[in-house]
Amino acid sequence: MGQVDGGVDLFQHLQELFRYRELVRYLVARDLKLRYRNSVLGFLWCLVNPLLMMTVFTVVFTVLLTNNTIPNYPVFILTGLLAWNLHSTALMGAINSIIGNGALVQRVYFPREVLPIATVLSTTVNFLLSLIVLFVMVLLYQVHLSYTVLLLPAVILTQVIFTTGVALILSAVNVYYRDTGIIMETLMLAWFFLTPIFYRIEDVFPVYSRLMYVLNPPASIIAAYRDILYYGTMTNFDFFSRTFVTAVLILFAGYFLFTRVSRSFAEAL
Amino acid sequence: MSAISLSAVSKRFILHHERPRSFQELLLHLVHRRNGEKETFWALRDVSFNVEHGETLGIIGENGSGKSTIMKLIGRILEPTSGQVTVNGRVAALIELGAGFHPDLTGRENIFLLGSIMGISTREMQRRFDGIVGFAELEQFIDTPIKHYSSGMATRLGFAVAINLDADILLIDEVLAVGDLHFQEKCLNTLDEFQRKGITMLFVSHDLNLITRFCHRALLLNHGRVIASGPAKEVVEQYTNMALA
Repeated sequence: MGQVDGGVDLFQHLQELFRYRELVRYLVARDLKLRYRNSVLGFLWCLVNPLLMMTVFTVVFTVLLTNNTIPNYPVFILTGLLAWNLHSTALMGAINSIIGNGALVQRVYFPREVLPIATVLSTTVNFLLSLIVLFVMVLLYQVHLSYTVLLLPAVILTQVIFTTGVALILSAVNVYYRDTGIIMETLMLAWFFLTPIFYRIEDVFPVYSRLMYVLNPPASIIAAYRDILYYGTMTNFDFFSRTFVTAVLILFAGYFLFTRVSRSFAEAL
Repeated sequence: MSAISLSAVSKRFILHHERPRSFQELLLHLVHRRNGEKETFWALRDVSFNVEHGETLGIIGENGSGKSTIMKLIGRILEPTSGQVTVNGRVAALIELGAGFHPDLTGRENIFLLGSIMGISTREMQRRFDGIVGFAELEQFIDTPIKHYSSGMATRLGFAVAINLDADILLIDEVLAVGDLHFQEKCLNTLDEFQRKGITMLFVSHDLNLITRFCHRALLLNHGRVIASGPAKEVVEQYTNMALA
């Protein structure tokens, strides 16, 4: 049964998305298969790539810039970089997910949100694999890990929720304004530098951390990763739950906006 | 309850060169204040019709008369500008289904992917798998990436998937022209069988013989309006006379 008029509410959209969950699974599997089938190194790349990045940053910030006092810098930078890579790769991939599947969108009906969601999830799978590298580094540098590492899934979940929300917004906007991707490339660079990834938030003037933790969820998310994986401390519960709530709100806003405009995607493409 | 019902459906397209397509253009528009009239195009105006369960309806008319727009509205790809489209039953569209294929995936992987795009569960697809491969006559190549298929093979596979989905309503938009004679004949036989089984079908075609052969009823469209509807033979005749006049 399908009433094909307007006025479909959020709950019905969610029900429909649930019915299409297998499509999400297939699209994620397709992404991963293609990524790993088309290169000999395949799976190795998601391990080697973060290691190379880590090396570059470590050389720059410990050998070239010697006034760096952050201990175990490779582990410090790797926690930040991996989280940031998940964020930026997922977003830049999702931005083009609707247009890239334009032929399909114009010919078959399915809930359009599966496209950006699948992109975020397949990037997340890659991220999970690359965590292997991080744990190896943690062992090598004998960073003390406490039981708080058990909180890691909660932090990852928060990040995926937040990134999915932003991905939904950007992928929808890009259908109507095709230079969104180009603009985002520059903005992502600024975002990267403004987020405490290769530096400590405490090292910048005090108001900055306040500002970042309020305005920039990735800063809070990376802080939570570092608490758990680098400092081996408990992450502040109030702080973390605020981040979680923000992420959920962003996801709802993104989903709401997306379902509002997705009905006319086929026309706008 | 009808299988498909359109009541007072209109569809307006805003022609693209009038709308800013990027933030850059949006900015320029704001500066230049070109707020003149939008150029719009009515693909359908006040179209109403019902299709009963088990009925086969043909839609004919010249290029650009709105045939494919009707199909896309029923397939939920487009939203009507005004009016209501109601569909009761699972819809499968035979509109270039190959669009869902990924060249680097094998035939097998693509079948399951396409099934999930159409909202069919893996378990259901597993049951239909042999039927699909058999119909497409691609048993030998099913584990070969689609990029090594000929275009005919890919089309056959797309068609085989759509036809094996057990849809209640089948939308057929000028796709029977593809494939060789042998495959075409096979498709027509299957459609015959579907008709006997009581599946609702909507046909868009320029092949008027096909329309008279298959359809119980036909609609004639002209510039987005229904100008005739009735028994397929009579409507086809009217269309032929109109074209000759």
